[in-house]
Amino acid sequence: MTSEGICYADNACHQAVEIVRHEEVGRSTRLLAVRCPEIAKRILPGQFVMLRPHGIYDPLIGRPLALFDVWYEGGEPAGIEVVYLVKGKLTSWLAEQAIGQTVEIWGPLGNGFDPQPTDHLVLVAGGIGQTPFLAVAKERLGIATFGLPNRNASNVSRITLCYGARTADYHAGVDRFQEVGIDVQLATDDGTAGHHGLVTTLLEKVLAGEPKAPRTQILTCGPERMMEAVAGVAAEFDLPCQVSLETPMACGIGICFTCVAAIATKDGWDYRRTCIEGPVFNAVDVVWDTTK
Amino acid sequence: MGVGHNQDDAFSMATLDLTTKLGRLTLPNPILVASGTFGYAREMERIVDLGRLGGILPKTITWEPRAGNRPSRTVETSAGLLNAIGLDNDGIELFLEHHLPYLSKLPTKVIVSIAGRDEAEFARLAERLDGLPGIAALELNVSCPNVARGVDFGTDPAKCEAVVRLVTRQCSLPVFAKLTPNVSRIAEIAQAAEAGGADGLSVINTVLGMAVDWRRRAPMLANVVGGLSGPAIKPVALRCVYEVSRAVSIPVIGIGGITNVDDVMEFFVAGASAVQIGTANYFDPLVSMKMLDALPGCLSEAGVETISEIVGTLGTAL
Repeated sequence: MTSEGICYADNACHQAVEIVRHEEVGRSTRLLAVRCPEIAKRILPGQFVMLRPHGIYDPLIGRPLALFDVWYEGGEPAGIEVVYLVKGKLTSWLAEQAIGQTVEIWGPLGNGFDPQPTDHLVLVAGGIGQTPFLAVAKERLGIATFGLPNRNASNVSRITLCYGARTADYHAGVDRFQEVGIDVQLATDDGTAGHHGLVTTLLEKVLAGEPKAPRTQILTCGPERMMEAVAGVAAEFDLPCQVSLETPMACGIGICFTCVAAIATKDGWDYRRTCIEGPVFNAVDVVWDTTK
Repeated sequence: MGVGHNQDDAFSMATLDLTTKLGRLTLPNPILVASGTFGYAREMERIVDLGRLGGILPKTITWEPRAGNRPSRTVETSAGLLNAIGLDNDGIELFLEHHLPYLSKLPTKVIVSIAGRDEAEFARLAERLDGLPGIAALELNVSCPNVARGVDFGTDPAKCEAVVRLVTRQCSLPVFAKLTPNVSRIAEIAQAAEAGGADGLSVINTVLGMAVDWRRRAPMLANVVGGLSGPAIKPVALRCVYEVSRAVSIPVIGIGGITNVDDVMEFFVAGASAVQIGTANYFDPLVSMKMLDALPGCLSEAGVETISEIVGTLGTAL
């Protein structure tokens, strides 16, 4: 655990911020927009914030939420949007909070995706794993810029999103993806929308239908088993693949050692903190099964 | 972080003396950060002003590197956090090579937390650290609940006394023993550590607990059991500090669910001469700075000019 590749919270702010929008965007899935210009102007696609209640100790611990999009006021970044699944204690509490109320957030945190130029970028999402990809798509197609100073990462020709969910009404924010002009391909476990089956099978179909593109890259986020399968498909097609791990976190800033994932080292593997060394890793570096 | 830490407390900071003497160890103020809740300090350098802290306890180090327990390592419970990290650390050699050069340059006191598998390993660790620049004291983690046999030294008075004695004989640094609350009579363990020559006691480590997912018939932690921390354990910690401080004559550092400056003051009154902030660093990374900002005002409100005037004043008539 040396310092190479570590992304300390050097650029982060901790603030009590106001909820400005809060609405249902899918089954048990909500979009939350908060006013936080300091974070909004710094954050990059694939980075996250920690969010918790303001001024109470139960729920206690923050939750990591990926940047969905930045919103603007007068042409300036004014805040961020996140999309979350109402699932546990904190998210159930959050779902009850009204516009005008205050939450605490700190960020931007983590490394974000590495914006390597490519012809065709394939985004593979499962469950609530679509959330980091809207900002990725907007940045890489040149629709928006992010970061301080603003970085130019408009460097892909086209983007396909393969987005799997249990059933159709869990698909959240599909219209937002379609608005930016990417090819959205859905999959559901029960066949209620798009491909009936696994998103990885859909991915294989997408890749097989392509002319052998010299430069295709895959970014994936979702349940661990899905990402492992996506990494397998990427290897089979010999394509570079970045994974954004969804490990639970308690601090988001590298001090608690909750969020470790097994990452390959020169002589095996070691646990690395996904908050400051991730959450994005090259798929080939992730050791999915440490018992092998 | 982009939030100013320094309030207009320059005047009160100057008139109130926050210097804290813990036996042979003198600290600029009584607000420390607890081992295992502050990484190796580097993670926090751009978030808090490290030089304002009374002291820093980096994550516990062991002789050999330890990968720690497999995930899931923590789970939130009511106003608390249950953890079974398992002393994930790089081992002493990497600590000396990589972390100590950074820590030793910090403008604050560094107290190194160590855990050995047996008495001899505690002694070897202490010997290796003795005399190195930048180390102000040692804290013996005789109470980590998440490693096999790790807790023995903290639950058996004779073993606790023996390990403290061995370490204090082999090393010239001030030595603090961090006690577990998971015993029937913590005062007995405290007295044993004092008899062994401890300069002070850190009270408490986490409270053993577990969390269950009944639908999956599964434990929430991969390690099944873990240590509870956070506001949920503050009453337990206060009781332990109270009992221990009355049973020994060495100073006590209070730890356990301390989340705001009122908690800090409560621990002083109950008998702690200093405090360590733990889990609160996770959910409020600037908490230690906020406490330092607010502490002079609380001391003024209490009508005291030094920390020692308020320590152990429970029950004294106002």
